[in-house]
Amino acid sequence: MRYLLLLVLSLNLFAVDASLKIEKDVEQRSRIALEDASPSVNAAFFKILLSDLKISGHFLADSRHHRGDLKSNFIAPALKSKEYVLKYTLTQGSGTKLIIRLFKASDGTVLLKKSYAIPTTSKAPFLAHKAISDINDVLKYPSISWINRYVVFSRYTSPGQSEIILADYTFNYKKVIIRGGLNLFPKWADPQQKSFYYTSYAGVIPTLYRLNIYSGSKQKITSSEGMLVCSDVNANASKILVTMAPEGQADIYEMSSSGGSKRRITTFNGIDVNGKYVDNESRIVFVSNRLGYANIFKKSITGSGVSQVVYHGRNNNAVDAHGSKIIYSSRESQNSFGNNTFNLYLTSSSASGTRPITATGTNQFPHFSTDGSVVQYIKHRGNNSSIGYMNLGSKQSLLFPLGGKKIQSIDW
Amino acid sequence: MIKKLLITTATLSLLLLTGCGQTAPNLNGSSNNISDASALSGDTVSINENGYGNESAGKGNSSSDGFQSVYFDFGEYGISSGMENAISRNVNVAGNANGKRIKIEGNCDEFGTDEYNYALGLKRAKAVKDSMHAQGINTSNMLMVSFGESNPICTSPTDSCYSKNRRVDLRLVK
Repeated sequence: MRYLLLLVLSLNLFAVDASLKIEKDVEQRSRIALEDASPSVNAAFFKILLSDLKISGHFLADSRHHRGDLKSNFIAPALKSKEYVLKYTLTQGSGTKLIIRLFKASDGTVLLKKSYAIPTTSKAPFLAHKAISDINDVLKYPSISWINRYVVFSRYTSPGQSEIILADYTFNYKKVIIRGGLNLFPKWADPQQKSFYYTSYAGVIPTLYRLNIYSGSKQKITSSEGMLVCSDVNANASKILVTMAPEGQADIYEMSSSGGSKRRITTFNGIDVNGKYVDNESRIVFVSNRLGYANIFKKSITGSGVSQVVYHGRNNNAVDAHGSKIIYSSRESQNSFGNNTFNLYLTSSSASGTRPITATGTNQFPHFSTDGSVVQYIKHRGNNSSIGYMNLGSKQSLLFPLGGKKIQSIDW
Repeated sequence: MIKKLLITTATLSLLLLTGCGQTAPNLNGSSNNISDASALSGDTVSINENGYGNESAGKGNSSSDGFQSVYFDFGEYGISSGMENAISRNVNVAGNANGKRIKIEGNCDEFGTDEYNYALGLKRAKAVKDSMHAQGINTSNMLMVSFGESNPICTSPTDSCYSKNRRVDLRLVK
């Protein structure tokens, strides 16, 4: 009996870490319910609000679509168990108006009242994102302002033709910004997302432009024989990393954002692409086939030494970085053709703490959010493609379906 | 002894269950009736580039002006022995081009992503350029552009179809 009790005590002590972690994960997020007081129900808008709350990593949202009265402070008894209730009205005519009121569920105290109005209906998803990020700020959670950002992506429409599209992160809003021609590799040029770089194939050789999305003004940055891609922009938007081949050899260069000066960073007689700033812009990580297959390496901007970052996988052909964090896609099946399993892995510039982020399907095009807390990626599974998001802290994930056209490149 | 162990176990369990609660933020209600969504109302431009495109787009993507396409194995950019006749033919055509520049276009199948596929297409174009240079064609008369996977001539999900897309096309610069 004594040994039995000692065994029970031991098991209890060993279980401490796991049970504490679960409790902490649950209680760090606020329980919140939505009450829709709109004249007509808009299920799509409600789903966007729910998605925003979920991917924030800060809320446990009630997925039931409650109806209510915006002006009343009355909190339905069924919702008293929540910490917060968000009441809202969405009105759409020629424009869109959203009014929100955030209540403390226990006593009906108003914590936030706010109204938003825009002259279009198509951008309504951005109103949802703005409202949820405002609520998040009022409750003093770490900023989730990245949900307000545009996603820019290129996709093929037919052989030799593509289009560049702006979207909100859920892809509920989409607008073609460059239609026709072959225009590829869009990359945001500034933190405010006023302009993006892209590669145009309108001339004899590829040319890099920067386009202001509001004025339409276009500035030629440089052109190069072979290939030309803007892979990354530094924090203050003064410098860019480009893959170009002025002598027929694809290497990574650092260039001023005006295209005025350039520095060659890699000199390998093979493939070096996809340069990303890391470690306070003192180094880059990049994809190279210097071991005979695509893999992730790093080097300093000024030095010559190159070191391997990833030590597994047969084809690690895409990478993104934030601070010292690195995310990459790794092929984990051997099919030459058809669907291969590509999983995303998180590691650091010191190659420590490597862990998988996805477990199934083909997961590619990884990108960090501006604060590095969320990873965006494209998932192919069977005949379906989705845009995915993974909150690295809360482990919450979201998938939104994509159309059938193949995405060529994406930036957030 | 057994009683003591029972009490110890129960006390530890109670402490572990109650020790880590976190209170929700306590905020005072405040007047926040603001409309500040004007940043969202700025309309973005829409540009139509259907009027012009690259000169090879929509032309079937085979070589033209008498040149012959060169094909590659999966993931490779070395010229196979089976393609040496195509290189020789292209050298002859280039020799009769009266000094016109030759555009060498590298292409890939769809099984690559993003930048890497464009670099692979460029390596294929460079392999053809180097082979033709080795047989006497002046490098200054040759121009390379990689189209990655953007210019497939076959889109069926078969191995034979994909192999047609792993190619280098040649044509004269107009």
